Amino acid sequence: MIAIVDYGMGNVRSLRNAFEYLGEDVMITSDPAELDAADRIVLPGVGAFGDAMTAIRDRGLEQVLTHQAIGVRKPMLGICLGMQLFAKSSSEHGDHRGLGWLDADIRRLDVTPPLKVPHVGWNELHFPADDWLFQGIRPGEANFYFVHSFHMVCHDVADRLATTDHGGAVTAVVRSGNLVAAQFHPEKSQDNGLKLLGNWVRWNA
Amino acid sequence: MLKKRIIPKFLIRNGRLVKGVRFHENFREAGNPVSTAKVYDAYGVDELLFVDIDATPQGRPVTGSIIERVSEEVFMPFTVGGGIRTLDQIAALLASGADKVCINTSAIEDPAFVTRAASRFGDQCIVVGIDYRRMQGGSHRVVSRCGFAATELDPVEWAQRMQDAHAGEIMLCSIDRDGTMEGYDVQLISEVANRLEVPLIASSGAGTLQHCRDALEAGASAITISSMFLFSDHSPIKVRSYLATNGVSVRSQKGSHS
Repeated sequence: MIAIVDYGMGNVRSLRNAFEYLGEDVMITSDPAELDAADRIVLPGVGAFGDAMTAIRDRGLEQVLTHQAIGVRKPMLGICLGMQLFAKSSSEHGDHRGLGWLDADIRRLDVTPPLKVPHVGWNELHFPADDWLFQGIRPGEANFYFVHSFHMVCHDVADRLATTDHGGAVTAVVRSGNLVAAQFHPEKSQDNGLKLLGNWVRWNA
Repeated sequence: MLKKRIIPKFLIRNGRLVKGVRFHENFREAGNPVSTAKVYDAYGVDELLFVDIDATPQGRPVTGSIIERVSEEVFMPFTVGGGIRTLDQIAALLASGADKVCINTSAIEDPAFVTRAASRFGDQCIVVGIDYRRMQGGSHRVVSRCGFAATELDPVEWAQRMQDAHAGEIMLCSIDRDGTMEGYDVQLISEVANRLEVPLIASSGAGTLQHCRDALEAGASAITISSMFLFSDHSPIKVRSYLATNGVSVRSQKGSHS
C-alpha cells in the first residue's frame, strides 16, 4: 500500500491516478496509523514552502513523517515542493525551516535572459544510465515536466542523483538511503514519468 | 535545455469542445473534451489548455467534473481557465487534477487576486490570460469578460503589471486573430517576451507550420494551437517535426503511455 500524504497542498488526484494506472493500491491520508501501516509514502506538494510547512505542522505531521523517514526508514518519495520540504531551509518568501532530512537548502533559480523563471516545461534529465531508478528511460529522450521557481542546493553532492540544465545544473532528483525525491512531476511526465514511478514502486530500500 | 511547448487549446461550452472566430463568430462543434485530450496525449503534446468560455458570462467557475475525468485519462500537465474568482475555486481545480489555472477577467477586476493566488499556490501555478484588440491607429487594448468588456489597459503594460503581481506565466491572445489561422501577432509577442522575466504563451492565429516557428522564434516559450489542429491536417507530430528541423528546441519523443 502506498500512502500519499494529504496536507492540503498537492495535486494528489493525479498522483493517485498514476499509481493506480501502475496497478498499485493507494490511499490519500494524513492519519498517523495509516502512514505507519503503509509500505511507502509519497509527499506531494504544490504551493509555497512556508505555507506547506505550516500545513504539515498544523496537522501534527512533522514528527510523524520524520519518524517514518528517519526512524522507520520507510521508502519515501518527495515530488516538486514535496522534494523541497526534505531540505533544511528555504528562502521562498522569507526564511523557513524544512523537514531537514537532507543537508540541503532551497534557493531561487538564478538565470539570465532569455531564460525565464519559473522554469516551466519539459527539460532533459542527466542521470546515471545504469541506476535502477531510471531503468527503461533512454538518455536523449529523458524529458520530464518541471514547473518551479526555487531549486534544491545539495551540500552533500552524493545526494544529487540527476540534474537538468536551466542556467546551470539544477537538482532534478535526489536520493539518500530510503529517501528519493524529484523536482519534476513524474505523474505529469507521460511515459517517462510512469516508468520512473514504476521503478520506485518495485524498489526495496 | 528547456523545450519550447506546443499546447492545444480547447474551448468548452456546455461540456463540449467548440471553436469560433474572433471569440464570438462561427462556432463549430469540435468533439468531446475527454476523448480529445486522450488523442492529444497520444500525440505527445506538451501541455493541454482548457477554457470554459461560458463560465465568466454565466458568472460561475469552470466545471470540475470534466477536469477530473481528463486527469484520470492523461498523465500530462494541463491548465484550466474560465470564471475563476476565488482561492477556493483554484484549490478545487487543482484537487481535480489541474496543474495551473488561467485567470483573466478577475485579474482585471481585482489585480490583488493574482498576488493572493500566487502566494497560496505558488507563482508557477498562476497563468494570467490577456485578451486584446488592435485599435484604430495601431494601439492595443485589453478586453475582459471573454471579449465582451473593453478596458483602457495596454496589453504590454498589463503583462508587466501581472508579472509584478506574481503571475507565473502570461498568455497573450489576440482577439482579432483568433480562429482566423492568419498567423500570430509576432510583433507584440516579441515586445512582451523581451520585456518579461516569466514565460510567455502565445495564443491565437496559428494556421501554418511557419506561423508556429515565427511565434517561438519571436520569444514565446510556448504556443497554443486550436483551429489548426481541429480543422486542418496539421497534427502535433508535423508541427514538432517541422520545428525540430528548423532548429527550434522541442521535445523529440512520443510521450504517451497509450
